[in-house]
This record gives sequence, C-alpha cells and structure tokens, in this order.
Amino acid sequence: MLVSLDWINDFTKTPKDISAQKIGELFTLATAEVEEVLESGSHWEKIKVAQVISKEKHPEADKLNLVTFTTDGKDRLQVVCGATNVVEGMKTPYAKVGVTLPNGLTLEPKKIRGVLSEGMLCSEEELGLSESSEGILELPSDAPLGETMLTYMKQRKDVLLDIDNKSLTHRPDLWGHYGLAREFSAIFDSQLNDKFNEDWEKSILSKISSTESPVAVKVDPKSSCLAYYGLTVKNIKVTESPDWMKRRLTAVGLRPINSIVDISNYVMLELGIPLHIFDKKKIKGNTVFINQLENEEIFNTLDEVERQLIAGDTVIRDEEKPLVLAGIMGGLNSGVDETTTEIFIEVANWEAARVRKTSTRLGLRTDSSQRYEKTLDSQLCKRTLLRTLELVTEFNKEAQVEGKISYDGHDLSDIKPLVLDVCFDRLRKILGKDISNDEISKILKNLDFKLTQKNNNLYSVEVPSYRATKDIDCDADILEEVGRIIGYDNIESEMPLLSIAPVRLNPAKELHRKIRDFMTDFAHSFEVQTYAMVGEKLLNDCSWPVLNTNLKLINSLSKDHDRMRPSLIPSFLKASALNAKNKNDFRFYEIGRAYIESEKDFSNEENHLVISYYHKDESQFMNLVNDTKTLMKALNIPGDITQKHPKFKSEVVDENWIGLHPFEYFNIRIMGKMKGALFTVHPLLLRNFKMKGQLSFAIIDLSSFENRVLKDKTKYTPLAKFPSSQFDYTVTISRDIPKGHVLECLSKIKMKEIVSHLIVDEYSQDSGDNLHLTLRTTFQDPTQTLSGEFLKISENKIIEHLDKNGFKLKA
Amino acid sequence: MISKLEELYSEFVDSLKNVNEQADILNLKSDFLGKKGKVSEVLKSLKDATVEERKAIGPKANEIKDNILKNINEKLTSIEIEKINKKLESNKIDISVFEDQYVDNIKHGGFHPRTLIQQEIEDVFLSMGFEVLDGPHIETEFYNFEALNIPADHPARDMQDTFWFTHPNSEEENKHLLRTHTSTIQVRGMLERKPPFRFIAPGTVFRCERTDASHEMVFNQLEGMMVGEDISIGNLIYFMKTLLKEIFKKDVTVRLRPGFFPFVEPGFELDISCLICNGKGCSVCKQTGWVELLPCGMVHPNVLKAGNIDPEKYNGFAFGLGLDRLVMMKYGIDDIRHLNTGDLRFNEQFNKY
Repeated sequence: MLVSLDWINDFTKTPKDISAQKIGELFTLATAEVEEVLESGSHWEKIKVAQVISKEKHPEADKLNLVTFTTDGKDRLQVVCGATNVVEGMKTPYAKVGVTLPNGLTLEPKKIRGVLSEGMLCSEEELGLSESSEGILELPSDAPLGETMLTYMKQRKDVLLDIDNKSLTHRPDLWGHYGLAREFSAIFDSQLNDKFNEDWEKSILSKISSTESPVAVKVDPKSSCLAYYGLTVKNIKVTESPDWMKRRLTAVGLRPINSIVDISNYVMLELGIPLHIFDKKKIKGNTVFINQLENEEIFNTLDEVERQLIAGDTVIRDEEKPLVLAGIMGGLNSGVDETTTEIFIEVANWEAARVRKTSTRLGLRTDSSQRYEKTLDSQLCKRTLLRTLELVTEFNKEAQVEGKISYDGHDLSDIKPLVLDVCFDRLRKILGKDISNDEISKILKNLDFKLTQKNNNLYSVEVPSYRATKDIDCDADILEEVGRIIGYDNIESEMPLLSIAPVRLNPAKELHRKIRDFMTDFAHSFEVQTYAMVGEKLLNDCSWPVLNTNLKLINSLSKDHDRMRPSLIPSFLKASALNAKNKNDFRFYEIGRAYIESEKDFSNEENHLVISYYHKDESQFMNLVNDTKTLMKALNIPGDITQKHPKFKSEVVDENWIGLHPFEYFNIRIMGKMKGALFTVHPLLLRNFKMKGQLSFAIIDLSSFENRVLKDKTKYTPLAKFPSSQFDYTVTISRDIPKGHVLECLSKIKMKEIVSHLIVDEYSQDSGDNLHLTLRTTFQDPTQTLSGEFLKISENKIIEHLDKNGFKLKA
Repeated sequence: MISKLEELYSEFVDSLKNVNEQADILNLKSDFLGKKGKVSEVLKSLKDATVEERKAIGPKANEIKDNILKNINEKLTSIEIEKINKKLESNKIDISVFEDQYVDNIKHGGFHPRTLIQQEIEDVFLSMGFEVLDGPHIETEFYNFEALNIPADHPARDMQDTFWFTHPNSEEENKHLLRTHTSTIQVRGMLERKPPFRFIAPGTVFRCERTDASHEMVFNQLEGMMVGEDISIGNLIYFMKTLLKEIFKKDVTVRLRPGFFPFVEPGFELDISCLICNGKGCSVCKQTGWVELLPCGMVHPNVLKAGNIDPEKYNGFAFGLGLDRLVMMKYGIDDIRHLNTGDLRFNEQFNKY
C-alpha cells in the first residue's frame, strides 16, 4: 500500500530534519515494513521560470536552435533546443543540469552537434503534466522570472512509503491516512490534529434535515451486515475532480475517474472505511435491502465481469435486482456516470470472514474487500459518511441533502469499550527495559488509549474501538504498543537466570544420529531425503500392495505427490533408478517417515531406515546383509537376521510382493517381530523402472524400538588361564549345497568345551562340481588344559557326526 | 710396534674391501682378531717392551681392535640390508595410484546438507539446556491452528497454504492436515511438560505452494520455545544473538522489528545485517542491507492457555528458523528442489571423505 507523507502532514507533522529514507526505516522498526521509499515531485523546486532572449540557428543542424535566455534578467544561459514554438520573449520552464525529470532522465551537460547545451527548456510531457505535448511549455507573460515551478504551479513534493500489506494484516486502523497519521504522531511524538472532532461533526450534521429519507434501509439479520448507513444527495454535477485530489489519488496509485467516484476513493484512503456511491435514480423503489442470497444468482460487477453468486453471499438490492456485492464491488447497473444528478451514499460494515470467503471464491480482491477482511470498526462508519458529504458539498455548491440518514444493523450504542487491567511492573519486566510509568502512559495516550491508575503499577487501559475489533484483547497487546514505540532495538540482550540440569538428545534422536554416522563412515553411503508424498502411478509401477487412499490430500499440487507414502521403498526405487542412469554402483540411505493408515488414529507415522546398495553386475545382497548385521551389533539394536517364517510374517514388506527376489531375502527380527527386511529387488520389477543391474534394499522400522535406551551388553570374562586347542579339517561338499548347512550341522554337536566352528578357507580343483571347505573347531575348558586323549575323542566325534550327515572328510 | 699395528689395520681395511660374503668376512675377523690372529701375533712381542712403551701400545692396540670389530659389523649389516632389499624389490607393490583414482570407487560417504546444519544447531541449543523434540507430520486443526491462536475464520486456514485430508469447509471436527509449521510442537511440548522448560523442534513442514527454484511444498523449519517466570524480550534477544554467532561464527548485527504472527504477542521479525554486502545494500538484501531471518516473539497468552499453562504466572518466547534457507545460504545451493530428489549427483557433493 502506498502512503503519501504529504497527506499524512494534513494531520500531523512528520519531522523535517531527517531524510525520507530514515522516516521509512523508523516506521519499519515501530509499526510495519516499508518496502520502498519513493520521493516524487522534488524536481519542481529546481525548475524555474525563464525568459527567452534570442534564438539562432544551430550551425550544424537545420532543425535545432541555439536559444539564449535568462532566469533572473542578468544571467545569460544557452541551450540547444529542437522545439519549433520558441520565440523571443516567451516565458518557459528551465531545468538546469542535475535535475531528474519525472521520466527518470537526469540532465547532464551535453554537446549537441558540437555545441554545449546546459540543461533543458521543458515541455508539458517532460514535466509529467501530460502524456504527450508539442513544443516547450509556454507560460503566461506575467509568470515571475526565476520563481520555482513548485511555487508557481502550486505543485507539491511528496514522499511515498510503500508498506507491505501483509505486515498490516492485524491493523485495520492503518488502512487509511488518518489512522497512519496517528501512528506517525506516536512514533515522532508530534501533535495529532483531530480534524474530525465533535465540532466538525456538528457542523456537517447541520446540513442534514430530519425529514423522511427517500431511500429506506433494511438489513436482513442473516446477512453479513454489521452496520449500514445511507444518505441521499441531489443537485449533483459529476465533473473532473480538482487538481489536488487528482494529484493525491494518482500519487498513491489510483486513477482519477470523476468527482464522485474520486471522493469515494479519497475518503476510503483517508479514513480507512470503504464506501459506495450509487446513482440514486438507478435504484428501483424506495428501499435498499441487505440480504443473504438464498439461491444462486448471476451478477455483473463494475469491472464488467459476470459473477456467479451462491447462497450465503450478501448483496444490496432494490426491489428488482442486486446492486452491490457487499463489501467487495458495486454493480454495473447502479454506478455513477457523467449524467448522474442524484446520489445515494452507502457506508457500511461487514463481517470480515464472510467478505473474505466470497472474495476468495470469486478471485475478486478489491481495495474494499481487503479492508473489510481486516475486521473494521462499525463506529467509524458515521464519520466516514459525514466526511463524504463534506467533500460532496464542497465540490457541488448546489448540492442538497434529501432527508435524514437512514440506518439499520446492530445497535452501535450497545457496544461497550474494551478495558484491560495492565500491571506496568510486569510490562517492564517482560519488556526487559526500565521505563517509567509516565513514559508508558504517554506512549499509550498518543495512541489514543485512555488510562486510569488503579494503584501504584496497576492501570486500567481503555482500548480505542477501532483497535479492539480483533487486534487488541489482552495485556500482551499493550506491551507490544509500548515496546514498538520505544523501539525493540533499544532493548539490551540479557542472559536469563536458569537452573542447571543435564540435557541430552532423546533415545530416538540419539539412535538416528548413530545410524547416520555408521552408514556414512562405515558403510560408505550417502544420506538422502525423498518426498513424503507419492502418487498412485509410482505405487502401481512398484505393484505396491498398499495405496494409502485414506491418506490422500484433497488439494495436492500434482498427481505424483497426492498422498502420503505407505513405505519408503517406492521412493527408493525411483531414486535408485535415477541414480543407476548416472552410476555403475552406489549406496545411499534415508531415515524417513512412512505413513500407515489407521482407523483409530487416522494415521500412524513410523520412522524407517532404508538402505539401497546397487551394482550394475554383482549382487550387493551379502554386502548389505553383513553391513546391516554390523550396524545392529554396533548400535545394540535388539534383533537378529533370520529366514522367512511360516507363521510370523514381515511387518515392513508384504512377503508375497512381486518385487522380492526369490532367494535373496531375510527378515530382521526385532524383539520377536519381523520389523525389518533385507532383499534384492526382483529384476522384473526393475524393468518397470527401465533399470538393469543388482539392487538390494534393507529396511528397518525404527519406531518399534527407538524410544528405548539400547543397552550395551558387553560383558567381561577373565582371561583364560589354560590354553585352547584348535582342530582344522577339510570336508568336501557339492557346490550346490549351502556352506551354512555344514556349520548348522556342526552346531548340533553338544559339547561344553567347543568354543566355535569357523570357516578357514574354501577352494575347488579346476572347475569341478565339488568344493573343499576347511573348518576350524576351537576347544577350551576354563578349568584345565585339555588332554590329548580328550581332544582325539572329540575330533573323531566331530568327523563321525559330519560323516553321518553326508559331509565327507576330504579324501 | 705402533707403526706395525697401524700397518696391520690398513692391511685389514684393504682386505675387507675385497670380501663380500658373510663367511669371508667372518674368516677375515678371525684372521685378525682370533687367538692366533694377526693382532695377537703382534702383541706377543709386547712382553719385550719397556713399561713406557707398553703404556703407549696398550691403548693403541685396543683402539685398533675396536675399529676392526666396528668395521666388520658395519659391513655385515650392510650386506644383510642389501639382501633383504633385493628380496623386497622382487615383491614390490605399485604405490603410484590411489583408491580414488579408480572408476566406481565406492569408499565415499556423506550426510544430507540439512542434517549437517540441523545437527549443528541442535548441538548449540543442547549445550544451552534446550531439549530437542519432534512430532507428527499429519496433524489436526487443533495443533496446527486452534491451539496456536489461529481461529476458524483466519485466512491461514484457507486452502491456499495448507494441505488438507478433508475439505476445510466440511462439517467434520478437528480435521486432519499436513502441519504447515513446526509450531505444532510448541503445543505438544507444552502439554507434555511443566514450566520452566525450553526446547527446540527441527522438522519437516508442508505448504501447498507451487515449487520452483526457491519454493518447495516440503521443507524444514526449526522451532524454539522457552517458558518460565518473567522471561523478557531481552532474554529472547540474547538467545537469538548467541544462535546467530554460533551459526555464522562471528558477531552478527541484528535488528528487531514488529512482525505479526497469531501465536506470539508481541511478534517480531529479526533481520540480520546482510552478510554478502555487510549491510551496504545488494541484490540479495534487495538494497536494504537487511535480510529477514528469524520470526519470533513472546508466546501469546492464548497459546499458553492451550498448552495448560497459566499466562498470569508464566510467559515465554518462541522463534522459528527456515532451516532450508540456511542450508542454501551456507552452501550456495541454487535450487531448493535438489534437497528432496535423492539424486546422488547432488548429495555426493556433501561427501565427508
């Protein structure tokens, strides 16, 4: 929103001794963000009335003249000028070197075809007075030589502040210059000139008779109307507005239209309350009805667009048709034009939420609707009506008010002012600034609050009605008023006094950090983060059995992200396919959320760790399994890696999912539940992602245990006093027998002296069908050295056991 | 006799030069130093010498013996070293290339850049006694709006910013949505503890807005809250300045100006002096010299009430930080969308090793 300081100065004096930039900065620090400070009209005071003395042809160019002129009768200046209307003795505005014209051109000394030209004799166009013009501006011969154009043309300099609308969301009182002026008066502690006082009100009211109003007002209580004033004025002549009004409207970005429309805009920008002026003759009948629509209706707004209204919207209508869309925009059928001679002025207040709802639905945000959305004060409507009447009668000396003011809506005399009890001592403490009760009182009084001291530090503070609509309702709001006026920047940083207590990351956060450290440092993986939302297409490409249709967004931005993901695996398939395009092998992982539909809780969010290992040729499955096993051990994760179980199924993947490799699969069992899985992705599924190679995933549901403190189960046993013995032997097995079967077979031998069976080596001759597996069994007894005899018997026992199970000793 | 000994030594030195086998050297040793060796032979005639002569010859003889022994040992060691080195040479490995000079070297790893920044900030606050919390992404209107003093008709509840699971106009109560800010954790944090307390809450948030290089529908924020008795704006400034000093590793000039957020009163925008131009004005700070970084404020009494805290007795401050913006600022990332793709061409740039 553009704010004119010239306008503000009608009501309070902004400081003259600081720069416009600084004023903007101080306003930003105290009230709302000023995005830009624009200075306009400063060229006027540098452009002077000059008189042409002589004119001669440019020696080098036929169409140019060398013009000699004076600005004080004594000096002689010369410019090169192309205008054809230059004659000796004429008066015209002269802009010297250094002046910046409204079109942005800054004048510099310049040689034109070899002749130096200093400054410029200006045309209307160059001065910004009209959009195009012929020749330089000829001033009347009585124009005083040397006078600045600021004085002569009665022009004004102005500073415009462009204030961020968003930072005024909570301040309905700042949507007009008068309200802003009060803010300036508080910031700079300068007097506020209250033009609109009781005397003023009386003098305007004296123009209004008490006779019957020609247009009655009827408010439907179901409508969004809070207050509605109407007044009829006749003998109107619609003309162009006076220059001062056009200038102000243009300055803040509004296009002047005609004297009546301009008044309605001007008053809105001045007092912050929108209003609407009808052509009275276009109102059919003698009543306007403010109704909530019961049915759909088409309405043509002023901007010549057909609007589809729905039941619940509020309109102002006569006995025939809707005239205005309440609080948003007038209709094409009732607007003022050049032929209007009689007007009906509407000043009303509407429920903020309903105005916003309708305007949002229609995509129609107007100067009016954006003010009503902020929750305006009904008590300001009357003042607005009177100010409008004041201007109407000022511009139309013949104008005559017809009848009294009509009103319908809430009983405004019923509204009680909001009074808050505020402890100034607590205010000081929370502010963190030592400031006296007198200073606090002065700031609040400047902002139109009324104060009564109840005891030492306790004051009752009466809030002005226009601040109490939504903005201010508790003592914290009063604290803000004081804080922002003294300037938050003037509050010193202060360390609080705090008690000391140990603080640590919670077990889940701690676990996540340890996993990331392990995966990054030990497993040579990169952490990634993928979208929490996925689309049906991705889930279908994965043949993922859960579609999360209950966790679908109603306003998703794209079909590819229209629901919460049931698992990270589809996201990881997509990311793996992307990376396989660029790399021959990779490893990455994520700790992210899966969203599980729940009838009871709507959804359950689980933190999952998912790891992806890929190589274009070789299976990464066992690498992934071994790294995961190490991870679990290193982090004391209470679980183990196990085969599929006929009864206990995986809780993280559907074991019948077609994406699973037929053999490369393990469950991870955590505290008895299959809360994790390790698998290679089936090549057939990779094909859906146009991907080749070997891709293996690990997935663990961390939520199942992350909130526990994981215990380190390390136990110390005293060093062995007696030596252990080792027995190495080689068995020959067929290649298609898993080596694990041999170890499993060995584990069945029950003998307390056996410490372990481990594989030493494996080899095969040529490319035979057999594999030789060398194993080592370690024996130990903590109480004695094992005898040779015992060892011999034990070794034989092992060999016999293997033999019985079909594992022959190597010949 | 002394000259004889010296002759003998030079004879030894010459002989040693000509032998290169361990056995020959040992033979040479016994030739000279053995019981019947050349030195002993010379010394035999010592018995005929005068006392004076003996005094001079004794030390000389020992010196020569020592030198011979030393020379022999040196020679033996050098022969052995030469032998071992020859063996080592035949088993020479190639030390001219390193692991990272191979295609498909997989020994790299790294964290997501968000993790790097987030953990750093978590540690700063942990060290000042703040807990670290998180909460669900799918929330209800109560936690996302109502408890945060954002009433039913507030524009923030409209469709434009929030992802909804149920139409906001539907009659259903306490509708589900994706949290639009981490402030939901303020409410959960308050309900779970009794003042005084302080915590931060980094987390993912969701906004229904079109994505481009600087906007994402999924991004990360960090929330902070401190509640106690007589917590002042000065305290808030202290923690914010400390945080910024820790993040940027230098004192940062800040300014506090009014800002409007329904869940704080008063609310502030904390700007930092632009780090690119040092506050002189540049394209990053839009010529203002200031960059908006930290919305914050004193917790609104209605929010305290929603968290079961008596606003007459306790108060506090809260702040929010756009984590992704910090990440982008720190690493000069040009497109926020890279953060969520899982594209390793992006993530690998943040390799730890």
